[in-house]
Amino acid sequence: MASVAPSRLATLARLRSVIFQTSYNPTSQRTGAKYLKRRLRGPSMMDYYPQQLSFSAINKEFKGLDLIDEDEEQRLQDIVDKKKRGKGAPKKAKSAADSRRAQRKR
Amino acid sequence: MPPRPNIRVLRDIKARQGVVDNEIARRAYLYVARNQTLPAQVRYRAQLQLNTFGRYTRPTTVKNRCTVTGRGRGVIGEFGLCRYQFRVKALAGELPGIQKASW
Repeated sequence: MASVAPSRLATLARLRSVIFQTSYNPTSQRTGAKYLKRRLRGPSMMDYYPQQLSFSAINKEFKGLDLIDEDEEQRLQDIVDKKKRGKGAPKKAKSAADSRRAQRKR
Repeated sequence: MPPRPNIRVLRDIKARQGVVDNEIARRAYLYVARNQTLPAQVRYRAQLQLNTFGRYTRPTTVKNRCTVTGRGRGVIGEFGLCRYQFRVKALAGELPGIQKASW
């Protein structure tokens, strides 16, 4: 069997790609097609953790239900009680000069 | 109520949300930046745009953590549980088809 010239083979490949509607890329250049063809991963990523129920979310969904989160109420009440006894968190410093760190003795 | 997710889980959820929000734009820029048939100047500018995306928009920052404890290591992918929670749940019979080996 006689060998076929490379140019003829190239022509054949080009014709074949036209006929079968495939891409003709003889130099194997990167076209970036894989970034478009790949499925989007985001939606399945969001499903990984189970949905968390929270009082605020339920109250938002069902307007007028107004469920009370007892733990949260207790926490807020504790903060108020502590403040009354002068045990609250210190005020935030407005500048670096009034920070508690700056007032500390060396 | 189940235990509240810890900060690492919250950060991971933030990363996942960031990936969802930016995935299409990132893909478009990736397509341009990696396309050798486009002029180099265009590809370079697309790459610069890619670099402006935040940290929590890349899919590689997302890590599958334990869905019960939030542990990042020793997570068994099929169940989304860390090895200890896997053992606890398996022994409690909460994982269908899983039983302790015995021969």
